[in-house]
Amino acid sequence: MDKRKLFISPVTRIEGHANITIELDDNGNVSDALFHVNEFRGFEKFCEGRMYTEMPTITPRICGICPTSHTLASVKACEMIQGIQPTYTANLLRRLMHIGQNLSSHALSFFHLSSPDFLLGYDSDPAKRNILGIAEKFPDIALRGIRLRKFGQELSERITGKKIHIMGIAPGGMAYPLTEENRKALLNWIPEALQTVQLGINIIRKFHEENTAMVQSFANSPTLYLGTVGSGGEHELYDGKLRFIDADGIILQDQVSPQQYLDFIAERSVNWSYLKYPYYKPLGFDKGFYRVGPLARLNVATRMKTPLAQKEFEHFKSIGSGKPVHGAFYYHYTRLIEALSDVEDAERILNDPDVTSLHIQHHGRWNYDEGIGSTEAPRGTLFHHYKTDETGKLVKVNLLIATGQNNPSMNRSVLEVARQYVKGDDIKEGMLNRVESAIRCYDPCLSCSTHAMGSMPMVIEVKDKKGELIKRLERF
Amino acid sequence: MNTIPITINDKKLDVDPAKTILEVCRENDIEILTMCHLKGIIDIGACRLCLVEIEGINKLLSACTTKVAANMVVKTSTERIKKYQRITAELFFAERNHVCSVCVANGKCELQQLGYKVEMDHIRYPHLFPHCEVDTSHPWYVMDHNRCIMCTRCVRVCNEVEGAHNWDVMNRGHQVRIISDFNTPWGESITCTSCGKCLHACPTGAIWPKAIVQGQLEKKPEIISELMEKRKMKL
Ligand code: SF4
Ligand code: SF4
Ligand code: FES
Repeated sequence: MDKRKLFISPVTRIEGHANITIELDDNGNVSDALFHVNEFRGFEKFCEGRMYTEMPTITPRICGICPTSHTLASVKACEMIQGIQPTYTANLLRRLMHIGQNLSSHALSFFHLSSPDFLLGYDSDPAKRNILGIAEKFPDIALRGIRLRKFGQELSERITGKKIHIMGIAPGGMAYPLTEENRKALLNWIPEALQTVQLGINIIRKFHEENTAMVQSFANSPTLYLGTVGSGGEHELYDGKLRFIDADGIILQDQVSPQQYLDFIAERSVNWSYLKYPYYKPLGFDKGFYRVGPLARLNVATRMKTPLAQKEFEHFKSIGSGKPVHGAFYYHYTRLIEALSDVEDAERILNDPDVTSLHIQHHGRWNYDEGIGSTEAPRGTLFHHYKTDETGKLVKVNLLIATGQNNPSMNRSVLEVARQYVKGDDIKEGMLNRVESAIRCYDPCLSCSTHAMGSMPMVIEVKDKKGELIKRLERF
Repeated sequence: MNTIPITINDKKLDVDPAKTILEVCRENDIEILTMCHLKGIIDIGACRLCLVEIEGINKLLSACTTKVAANMVVKTSTERIKKYQRITAELFFAERNHVCSVCVANGKCELQQLGYKVEMDHIRYPHLFPHCEVDTSHPWYVMDHNRCIMCTRCVRVCNEVEGAHNWDVMNRGHQVRIISDFNTPWGESITCTSCGKCLHACPTGAIWPKAIVQGQLEKKPEIISELMEKRKMKL
């Protein structure tokens, strides 16, 4: 069969770039789609031989958007190695920082990367379909988006002195306390942050109403879901147990300790991507696709922890009549519901009288040769797994990251969208953008490259089976 | 006290002839960059950062090991000196594996500060990227040879101040390494008293306590100097 290939490759990114290949059959119909992740930064390998206590400093360098999640997963693995728990106040401060990171990441995803699609339209001029276009037409929204990110970063900065690659989260707790002055300054942000998130929710709900058919049919094939929940099944980002549900919402596993993750998750390497393909072990590679991230977290959760987010959550649940919502488009909505819960939770924590206590660290030393830590990164459940020798030197490191877990589903979503919107070498801008936005729904770690300042720069090549170019399209 | 006249950077001074150029400069607030020097222990002139120009002598001499002499005319901050300081700093970084962003000493490191001081915006020499051991065998401390600059402050402190002489130096050239006892893991040393003085003496992130993470490192090299002052007073 004469298969033709359609490549979509973003070209301006140095690190974390991805290519999409769409394979066409003889009739110009899409036969397959692959999302290649070419980044491989060798962290697991080069951490071997280092002290385990260095991992909370080394691993946040994996990502500039979710460094706090890496630090927290790492520090929890260290605490398991030492056999100690952080202090109450340290947990509050860590939660605040984690909320800050989740908020700025979700704000980036929604206001900077995705809102141009919702507010300006998918088929609008690509040169203006970006945050600058938003700033021109909707200056208040652009500014609010930027300020929400700033609040998120301040939550870290006012505790540790750094916005991004934070220092001072140590096994057993924190190196720095929160001052009263900083507590007050952070509390001042709450009303504005709440308003901004509500505004985002209004935008996305309006878009849902006006585009119901598209939203519902967009990349909506059912999968399993994995997320962290509290002891009552409530939504949880920092510390909880794992819950797996199936495509109908039946709970497959509940209150699983993250330390048992290997009993339920297996990984397989594939030849077209450097990412490993994780799957839910009891169902095997073919049936064990699962998704993580905001959509997954809300699908698995029984309830939200805060009142306003709970109200929005109930609306979300009504979309699937109580069953899991599969459409990848709903990632955007669930991100905003989480952001709402983040702001409410931040307010609760900042009003906890113990948040400024100086009792911020318990002290321990190496006791066990294995540690596993997990947390919910903005993009999904994250696992750090370390093995050490009896001096604390790392002999094995396994990092299971969110984007990796979503990768099989991202492929599938691209394929579905490609089938709906791409036909032969008739390549229209709006169509490609939808393929691209299928990826963007998942907000994979590489997304920051692709839409921050404009439409994704792409070179599209249609090739025949022998690799010869039939058609070439460029968009910068 | 007998004094002798000398001139440093056009400034005329009357100084104690028993002192080194470095000591005189420090007393008179004249800046000299140092790395292997640590007040209180014997100077060895190893790092070559403290080089100064002396009128009538073609070579640059190390301020930490050169005694003042009558009518000496010294310059501490010429273009030639700055050029050598920059070269020296670059070679420190090129010789081992320094990744400040993930180093426990980030923000508290004398080598890193040196890099800023000489405005080292890039390194002109090829990195050696040697394979270096991280010795984690000691129950409390780590010795990471990746970040060692061979200043031997640890060796001298251990020998001269603690009197244990756990640390020493083996090999030559770029294969030179700090060793514990006769090249055994630090944790198995029979001479180390675990006093921690080498940790405070070490200017970089090469020796650090296991219990801390980046942002928590406290190195106090001045405790070595103070300790030696107090000992002198007792005598
Ligand atoms: S020892 Fe100093 S210069 Fe070397 S990596 Fe650490 S902070 Fe950087
Ligand atoms: S371990 Fe530290 S004090 Fe010892 S030689 Fe190396 S850099 Fe200098
Ligand atoms: S300080 Fe003088 S040579 Fe090192």
